[in-house]
Amino acid sequence: MNTRSKLRVRNWVLFALTIIVVFSLGLLASSILERKSESAFAYTPKVKIGLNEPRNKVWGENFPREYQSYLQNADTLFKSAYNGNAMIDMLEVDPRLVVLWAGYGFSKDYNQGRGHTYAVTDLQNSLRTGGPTGPDDGPMPSTCWTCKSPDVPRLMGEIGVDNFYKGKWASKGSEVVNAIGCADCHDEKNMNLKITRPALIEAFEAMGKDINQATHQEMRSLVCAQCHVEYYFDTKIPEKEGIPYLTFPWENGFSVEEMEAYYDEKEFKDWTHGLSKAPMLKAQHPGYEVYLTGIHAKRGVSCADCHMPYKSEGGQKFTDHHIQSPLNNVANSCQVCHREESENLIRDVYDRQNRIIVNRDKLEELLVRAHVEAKTAWDLGATEEQMAEILQDIRHAQWRWDYAAASHGGSFHSPVEIGRVIGTGIDVAQEGRIKLARLLIALGFEGEVPYPDIATKEKAQAFIGMDVEKLKLEKEKFQKTLLPEWMKAAEEREAKMEDGE
Amino acid sequence: MGIYKKLKPQENWKVPVIVLLGIISGLGFYILHISKATSYVSDDPKVCVNCHVMIPEYVSWRNSSHREWASCADCHVPQDNVAEKYFFKAKDGIYHASVYTTRGEPQVIRIKEAGKKVVHNNCIRCHENQVTDAKLASQVDGHFAHRTDRACWECHREVPHGKQRSLSTVNFVNDEELEEDVRIPAWLDEQLKENYQNKEQ
Repeated sequence: MNTRSKLRVRNWVLFALTIIVVFSLGLLASSILERKSESAFAYTPKVKIGLNEPRNKVWGENFPREYQSYLQNADTLFKSAYNGNAMIDMLEVDPRLVVLWAGYGFSKDYNQGRGHTYAVTDLQNSLRTGGPTGPDDGPMPSTCWTCKSPDVPRLMGEIGVDNFYKGKWASKGSEVVNAIGCADCHDEKNMNLKITRPALIEAFEAMGKDINQATHQEMRSLVCAQCHVEYYFDTKIPEKEGIPYLTFPWENGFSVEEMEAYYDEKEFKDWTHGLSKAPMLKAQHPGYEVYLTGIHAKRGVSCADCHMPYKSEGGQKFTDHHIQSPLNNVANSCQVCHREESENLIRDVYDRQNRIIVNRDKLEELLVRAHVEAKTAWDLGATEEQMAEILQDIRHAQWRWDYAAASHGGSFHSPVEIGRVIGTGIDVAQEGRIKLARLLIALGFEGEVPYPDIATKEKAQAFIGMDVEKLKLEKEKFQKTLLPEWMKAAEEREAKMEDGE
Repeated sequence: MGIYKKLKPQENWKVPVIVLLGIISGLGFYILHISKATSYVSDDPKVCVNCHVMIPEYVSWRNSSHREWASCADCHVPQDNVAEKYFFKAKDGIYHASVYTTRGEPQVIRIKEAGKKVVHNNCIRCHENQVTDAKLASQVDGHFAHRTDRACWECHREVPHGKQRSLSTVNFVNDEELEEDVRIPAWLDEQLKENYQNKEQ
């Protein structure tokens, strides 16, 4: 081979080698780009969730597991000894309640709640919200919607907090439709827990605390404390006079006495009792306040730890969004810490509840008697001055009873505190009745004021002079006329909303 | 010099050869660029999810207590001297890159022998006081003996990546998740602050 042909071979080899190098570099580059575009899709959210997105199913696109478990909130089959998620007519179970709430909405209709899924529906169907015929009609203010739906933060963002609280309940009927869900507790960008209800933030401010300092574990209870707390509608806030502004009475503290002092100082009353004319307080559901006094709170256990424990599915560990009584899920809640047979654990809960209810029932009976005796005193011509102290006792005693009764789960969350509260309630009620007995004697009454026949809900409602049939008719009319209009308007409004991008 | 002389182009070929070499090197730099090659020098955990197959490991770490203290490299790369650190990083990186490029990644990524040694030493590096703590040794049965004859995670099994990990254990990763934790959404905060200011006046 001569030099010339050698050179030619060398050039061809170089040429081929270069082709191979460039070709593989190209392959590498295209592989990198290919995998990069793969990464752009792998592990990316399906939709972009907008600010204050109220539709839970849009969030569900990105979080199918959480959403699936959330949908199980629709289940209403579980009944525990006293509660559960089935709808129970509490006035039927305990007709004394009708007398205790005479003159107030709760004597019309009061059911054990069926869970977050039904919050909007059950409020629409409750006799308490009446049968409005238009946006400015009905017994309840707009504020009653505050805890019922993720449409609430959406609306507050759109029209402002003050404007949300303004007006009648019926004025926002077509706006508040989605069941309590994702946007009530979660940030739409990073799913961090968020406080979306102003009242909790303002209550922290009133106590001189900053809710932004709350730890993640505290937040796992505080998102619940946006609603599962004692509250009232303050219509006397300067510059907001007349607006039923949702407020938590926490300025002095969480205990039954501290909140009582708060209300007394403001001379606030929820209503005037229909029989005794006492200036009454209705305890809403101080679940969070009572929980704070219990041993679980003290050990740092949050609401979510027991009511939304972790679960595993297909290799993924996530928070169970089926929010329910731990008694229906002992394995994932109690047994994570307590290595006991579930039977024993459930019995421990029932033991506490069964013991507390004995005294709660007693206090209820005393309160019924006190109301009836007070009415007798009025009928015999008692003066306001003579009655003042007695009515204050009735107010305080029933407040204590309600604080215990309405704090669903309280007799387990904090049995000692609830036992104490009921104990003081019995004392205050009897003190009031001693004063009543003296007054009745002074008014010339002898013997015992008969205990009314309130064996059933119907009898009790008749006893306080309520026309339930009329209420039911109004409700039916509302359900047939205005309610479908609301639903149609809501559907049209939501159809115009963008689907998650 | 012999080979260079042989390969050296003739005078009239010099320009095209320079251009061609430029093109080939350019392609090389392009590859370095699209593969974010320079990022691998840093210890930022986000670098480890340049390849999405590491996302389950990334997410489980980010939801663990170690997030506040230790980055990926703090555990998975030797920290005793700089030379060893970068040698190991380069060796591991080239291995990972070739597996990823050839699509050889398994459904469940498991640590190899060399990596185990590094992690174990790094556990001890930070937790030296705990592993030699006399109180702990007396409370946990066999802790004294076990700390020398097995790896930490044979008992501390969920640290920090959890029990279940595979390519399908994670739904998705959201880059905004590590943003500052604020409890009140901005729209509400603004409204309430206005209220508050009105009250002050």
